[in-house]
Amino acid sequence: MTHHFPTTLLTAWTLVLAGVLPAVAVGPFAADVPDMLEQAEAAGLEQVYDGPWEYFVGGGAASFDCNGDRMPDLLIAGGENPAKLFVNRSKAGGALAFAQLDLANLPDKDKTRVLGAYPVNIDNDAFMDVVLLRLGANIILKGQGECKFEKANDSFSFDGGKAWTTGFSAIWEPDQSFPTLAFGNYVDRSMPGSPWGTCHDNVLARPAVNADKPDYSNLTALSPGFCSLSLMFTDWNNSGEPALRIANDRQYYRGGQEQLWQVPPGKAPREYSTRDGWRQVVIWGMGIAEADLNGDGMPEYALTSMGDTKLQSLDPEADEDQPIYRDIAFELGATAHRPYIGDDIKPSTGWHSQFADVNNDAVTDLFIAKGNVEAMTDFAKDDPDNLLLGRRDGTFSEQGDAAGIALPTKGRGAVVEDFNADGMMDLLVVNRSQNVSLFRNLGARTDWGHRPTGNWIKIELQGEGANPSAIGAKIQVKTGNLTQNRTVEIGGGHASGQNGFVHVGLGVAERAAIRIKWPNGDWSQSIRAFANNHVVIRQGATTPIYWFPPEE
Amino acid sequence: MRIGFITAGLVLVCSIPAIAQDRPWQETTSALGRTAEQPNGVLSKEALQALTEIGNELFDARFTSLDGAGRPRATQAIIPTKSGNRTVAGFARTSGPDSNACSSCHNDPVSGGAGDFVTNVFVGEGFSEFDFDSADPQFSNERGTNHLFGAGLIELLAREMTQELQGLRAAAVRSAREAGQDTRVALDTKGVNFGWITATPDGFVLLEELDGIDTDLVIRPFSQKGVMTSLRQFTVNAMNHHHGMQAQERFGSRWTDETDFDEDGYADEMSEGDIAALVAWQATLPAPVRDTRDNPDWQKAAEAGEELFGAMGCGGCHMQALPLRSLAFADPGPFDSAGTLNALQVAEAAIYDLALLDWSRSLSRNEKGEFMVPLYGDLKRHNMTDSEVDAFGNELLSQRFVDRTIFATTELWGIGSTAPYGHRNDMTTLDEVIRAHGGSGRNARDAYVAATSDEQSQLIAFLKSLVIVQ
Repeated sequence: MTHHFPTTLLTAWTLVLAGVLPAVAVGPFAADVPDMLEQAEAAGLEQVYDGPWEYFVGGGAASFDCNGDRMPDLLIAGGENPAKLFVNRSKAGGALAFAQLDLANLPDKDKTRVLGAYPVNIDNDAFMDVVLLRLGANIILKGQGECKFEKANDSFSFDGGKAWTTGFSAIWEPDQSFPTLAFGNYVDRSMPGSPWGTCHDNVLARPAVNADKPDYSNLTALSPGFCSLSLMFTDWNNSGEPALRIANDRQYYRGGQEQLWQVPPGKAPREYSTRDGWRQVVIWGMGIAEADLNGDGMPEYALTSMGDTKLQSLDPEADEDQPIYRDIAFELGATAHRPYIGDDIKPSTGWHSQFADVNNDAVTDLFIAKGNVEAMTDFAKDDPDNLLLGRRDGTFSEQGDAAGIALPTKGRGAVVEDFNADGMMDLLVVNRSQNVSLFRNLGARTDWGHRPTGNWIKIELQGEGANPSAIGAKIQVKTGNLTQNRTVEIGGGHASGQNGFVHVGLGVAERAAIRIKWPNGDWSQSIRAFANNHVVIRQGATTPIYWFPPEE
Repeated sequence: MRIGFITAGLVLVCSIPAIAQDRPWQETTSALGRTAEQPNGVLSKEALQALTEIGNELFDARFTSLDGAGRPRATQAIIPTKSGNRTVAGFARTSGPDSNACSSCHNDPVSGGAGDFVTNVFVGEGFSEFDFDSADPQFSNERGTNHLFGAGLIELLAREMTQELQGLRAAAVRSAREAGQDTRVALDTKGVNFGWITATPDGFVLLEELDGIDTDLVIRPFSQKGVMTSLRQFTVNAMNHHHGMQAQERFGSRWTDETDFDEDGYADEMSEGDIAALVAWQATLPAPVRDTRDNPDWQKAAEAGEELFGAMGCGGCHMQALPLRSLAFADPGPFDSAGTLNALQVAEAAIYDLALLDWSRSLSRNEKGEFMVPLYGDLKRHNMTDSEVDAFGNELLSQRFVDRTIFATTELWGIGSTAPYGHRNDMTTLDEVIRAHGGSGRNARDAYVAATSDEQSQLIAFLKSLVIVQ
């Protein structure tokens, strides 16, 4: 197996892995720290995720375009409170602005008990659909345009079940017209002895073969379940066949561990075991994020937990079919194990994790939502969210306080997204028992105001036929000797997902060459685009189409 | 100041008092660091003169290893790029660093001018095959040295044109959104057409009809290919490529996490102020003029040649003059992206009012009061080859999205002072370079070829009258 490291990372990673370099880079953090201004209320976002014990977990949001203007709208879970839909009224580079819309066609009873939400265009039409994860029956909302939805459980022959669902992911398997859906379930409260050792099975919903519309009447239990709090389809070994990675909460399982399921097309799923090289990892798994940090085509995974965050990288000595991972969080300074401000040194509680380049320096950063479960005295009470900014040597530097996101909230789900189309990633955090936080990325603070961070490009893929959002596609963005890899995916995080432009920070590069590996395996030609633009790439095209957001 | 010592492969960096400053025998460049920071606001004539004098010193300075010249661990690439485990030679005539001073090449007829064949540079990306030691065109494109006179006016024209073109685009997008139907607009600015764009109601801009400009509608007026946005961008690129002098605004810790990216023992080799001084000097270089040395025969021939220039169609691309609304040169400028200081990165840009300079009074004005810049160019790219006339198709590598046979129109002002000709500086006469025009220049070239020898001579007389003031 050959791993390719970008030049800028090769030495540091090699030396770090060899134990030669110190764990974390020395010297002050010199790249831009984005100034993240909280303005949820001013932007018109009012939503509180709340409720009793069942809602200690969950608290997610879906970010997607529901009205065809390509600006990211939001559907935010409320737990016992009704889920709310907000349409994005922001203008390019302007203040963040949202307006609440009614989920008009949805009965009130279906708006509550929602823990999370993920967008996915299930029926391949022009409108994004949304999957609501609920305490009780999950719901598929079929998009109808103009931010209207209708419940599609019946028309898609989908039984939402009765479980306590906390995780979701979707992928188009080869030759399938509709996506395979995976649902991660938590504690089975109906079992004797619940909650201890009574984890629900997870569920795989594969579409009926050769059907002309989505038909999810055939559900497959993924057993054993270990009280999942996040799952995601991921092409862990760059084989082209995504597997299902599941984060599980050791708080309630017995004999469980983190899981990876092989999902071979047309065949029954199979759990990877120690025979395959899979090593038991027992954590309070709450969120998963993936990013190819070292440019070798194989993703690294950030797994949130209570205490240490895990940052797993495929063992370079492993065979290509062996999912053998080692934890590099400590070496790279990404453990984020306790609060970085204040006097509370008890362990942190991590939830949503998401990689993104929030300062556009062409180095991937990591956001982690933090917050005490409710009143767990063994864990930090005031637990600020993390903003771990990546450094050129591959390590991370905690800059959450400098960025202004260290608020006394109990973060859960989140969305790192560019809500005002200025190329700088903003941040929505769903908080338990408090209003959501919405941070506008103003750029780097100076003594005279703010200056933009580095260059960027945002890419929307349009696949041919089924899977119009090109879920599973891989994007390579080349600037000089640096190749940044992204995967278009739905899943992971904590109860939160998004669909839309894929953002890539470009640093000082003023142009980029983009290659796409479409879900059917076809590679695009090298497509040229100038920095600081939104581009749409259609399958088969050799040039991008530039898109311009609404202006003031 | 930080001084580096290299002893048996061990680089030592220490701080010592500036004892070597301002002594006649010093081996450092005293102008470095003299501009403490990026200027701002409108500079008076005196302040501008002081700044440009420093810029002139820097342009003529033969940078030394004590200044930080050389880049042992960095390539010539415009994106900061490490050389990996290879050490970049102190000097290499091909891949660089290849000169001591800016004026080592830009010296004909005076500093800031062009250079003859010996000053050619070898333009490669500088990423993977950065240390080529061959002039083989598979590794680089060999290019002549352009002159910089009137460069401030050129950049101002490009900025106004870019602003206008992007304004047309924004208006088209807005119109299409409001009307709910496609809006097709001509990209006309200052009498130059860059094709058409079509905006759709959902915010897309279709570029199939674009002509001679990048897809972001930024006019990049500098270099043979027209791929450099500004004097500032070019200066930052060139200081690294040719001298190994790295500008903080691109190679500094903000973007590289290092203060000494090229690992030569010198941190932050060129400040924003140093680059500003260089830009100011280049931007204020006087525009070339017409001069026939009071020779009535030459004057008469040149006047006839000017008529022929238009009649043959040369002026279709080599447009005699373009109108400029303002002579206020802002530095940093509005269209550079991150990695080159730009207007959004500073509290207030410096304004160099070219109207303060004596030479600017020779610029005529049109009926709108706009300054007519006699550049003999259109700031546009054209295909310069066809199947029969292909002399300009001698490069193998495209450059920054620009195909190998496409070049920016050469501004002809000053051409009488800057032989030889062509993008490789390998054509010794104007007659040769005119005959080399294929593609978009083919009709004008054919008209020249079909003309009488007297007419051809008159055209040459006209071109030779476009000179740089010495």
